[in-house]
Amino acid sequence: MAETDLSDERGLTEEQKLFRESISDWGERNLPLERVIEMNREGHPFPEDIIQGLADLGVIMGPVPEEHGGMGLSWKDQSIIEEQIGYIDPSIATAAGFMAVETGWGFTINRYCNEEIREKYIKPAIRGEKFVGIATTEPKGGSDVAGFESTAEKDGDEWVLNGEKTFISGVEECQKIGGGYWVNVRTGPKIDEAPHKNMTAFFVPIDTDGLEPQEPYDDAGRGSLSTSGFVMNDVRVPEKYMLGEQGKGFYYTMEGFDNARIMIGASAVGVTRRILEEAADYIKERETFGRPLAKYEAIQFPFVERYTEMEASKLMVRKTAEMQDVRYDETGWGEKTGDPKTYKPTEIAKWISMIKYKVPHLAKDTADDAMHWLGAAGYSSEYVFETAWRGVMSYCVGAEGGANIQKIVIGRETLGKDYVPYK
Amino acid sequence: MKFVVLVKQVPDTNEVEVDEETGTIIREGVPSVLNAFDEFALNVAVDLKEKIDKEVEIIALSMGPPQAEEALNKCLAIGADRAILLTDKIFAGADTWATAVTLGRALKKIGEVDLIFAGQEASDGNTAQVGPEVAAHQGISQLTYVTEIEDFDPEVGEIICRKEIDEGHLMVKGDMPLLLACMPRPDFEPKIPNIREIMKAKKKRKETWSYEDLGGDEEDYGLEGSESVVIKTYSPPPKGEGIKIDEEPERAVEKLLRFLDEEGIL
Repeated sequence: MAETDLSDERGLTEEQKLFRESISDWGERNLPLERVIEMNREGHPFPEDIIQGLADLGVIMGPVPEEHGGMGLSWKDQSIIEEQIGYIDPSIATAAGFMAVETGWGFTINRYCNEEIREKYIKPAIRGEKFVGIATTEPKGGSDVAGFESTAEKDGDEWVLNGEKTFISGVEECQKIGGGYWVNVRTGPKIDEAPHKNMTAFFVPIDTDGLEPQEPYDDAGRGSLSTSGFVMNDVRVPEKYMLGEQGKGFYYTMEGFDNARIMIGASAVGVTRRILEEAADYIKERETFGRPLAKYEAIQFPFVERYTEMEASKLMVRKTAEMQDVRYDETGWGEKTGDPKTYKPTEIAKWISMIKYKVPHLAKDTADDAMHWLGAAGYSSEYVFETAWRGVMSYCVGAEGGANIQKIVIGRETLGKDYVPYK
Repeated sequence: MKFVVLVKQVPDTNEVEVDEETGTIIREGVPSVLNAFDEFALNVAVDLKEKIDKEVEIIALSMGPPQAEEALNKCLAIGADRAILLTDKIFAGADTWATAVTLGRALKKIGEVDLIFAGQEASDGNTAQVGPEVAAHQGISQLTYVTEIEDFDPEVGEIICRKEIDEGHLMVKGDMPLLLACMPRPDFEPKIPNIREIMKAKKKRKETWSYEDLGGDEEDYGLEGSESVVIKTYSPPPKGEGIKIDEEPERAVEKLLRFLDEEGIL
């Protein structure tokens, strides 16, 4: 832990303060920076002791209702947990695998799945015994969510899936401990003027016949978590493994993205704080030309600018999480029971896009600054800055939605639909 | 069975600042934590509860300002079943004796208690007096510097503890009711409450007791009830760098003796 403490607990409930304290203590004991750097260097699959530790801590899928094996936390609670997960692992691998993917998407799977999937996959994933994830991106692209080509055809009481998914987080981990993926496929013809129609979501266990996992990519960062894909050759899943209703996959996918992006925004706040604290320790200590680096305005001013942006981002993330809580209070935390009243989902999506666009870039830019402040030391993996820089970059270039897609959403909600660039 | 764990919230810092006028520790702006010795005592109590086949209620008891509730919340998350905070302006300024009197009155109100656990000392005052004084006030036996419970027979009411001493350790047997002042083992890792335990703690019983609840004479409590007076609180001046003799043993002894002689120590 850094000596400099930039955390600010004002405004948190007693429970939220304890969440942070427990995660900090657990991180200090099990995931110190040396281990984060080592895990990043050694590569995937993600260590099972850390998965089990996260599960024992109770941080995976916290907002899933208690009767479904979760903790019944609010998204605000979970975002505070997630912020601290980003803080203890600034490579962002832990946050990516188990908060954005398992928590954001796992929660959404749980809303639309049947009891069998819940018992066989969701509850074990919460216990750290299985992994659940999301597979939307295809070789033709990911940002064009409705432009996918994988299909499913009905055969009796089964559906037969064909196609390919790529740049999927956690496939190797899922193969290792078991689990499955939310897979979007087309269950009807592509309608050019409304390509999002006929999109249906299925839950596909990783060990289903015909599902062929591909070799993991050699990513620039978040090295301890695998990214790969799988080909589906006549993959048969029972009708009951359809998530929600046929043809509504696009809407569920947008909901999953919303939850995952809140997690990403929160984790990037944590990553930024860790970078600033570690950097502060260094620049207060290290002297050049007879005075500490921190006394140079060229270093101090960007430091305080990043700090200010981090505090602003934190408030944005918490406001957004609160909006999502209102949404689920009105529509149901488990199965859907009502319609949103207070906020339109697109309004919440605007805030979510703002944090998804802004905060990972802030974390990446802060890591970039810190590497400049430290010079050669910052460039070395002896310090965590380059590990963090390479990790958060994944959320700048596109994981959980590229920056430009977020800007289109923000533009649509502020300037109006008439100004959407692609229409 | 009933276990009571005495806990205190202390400043989370090694650089305590003292108000020169009042001689008291400045707590404003300094984050507070559960005293590590007390956290260990609570862990010992929770471990013991888990080991014995008997219904046990663990009560965390603290005296302090209203914000000491934070430390009690943590105790509930770690495994206490109930928490009681003794807070009142009348209790303020208490020395160890007045603190022991206050805790003792609360213990009387709680009723029959089988084991009282306390941290050996608090990291802010380091007196190591409150535990033993509570035992004295209650008229019960005490074991200090307890690092481990080796054996416990709830039916007979007997407990065997490992007690650290300068020369090693002793195995000591005590009869209930008993107070154990606990000293963290070097390898001790406190239990980290998980999210489920933290959420569960929210629903546990929490009470706040004031002077009205404890009764007795006002002058028994707080500053008035204190037997000792703090004349001055200060940080000792830092020690000098010292002298390092970096020589072969024979030459080093020679040099050391000469130095001690010159300084008039020998």
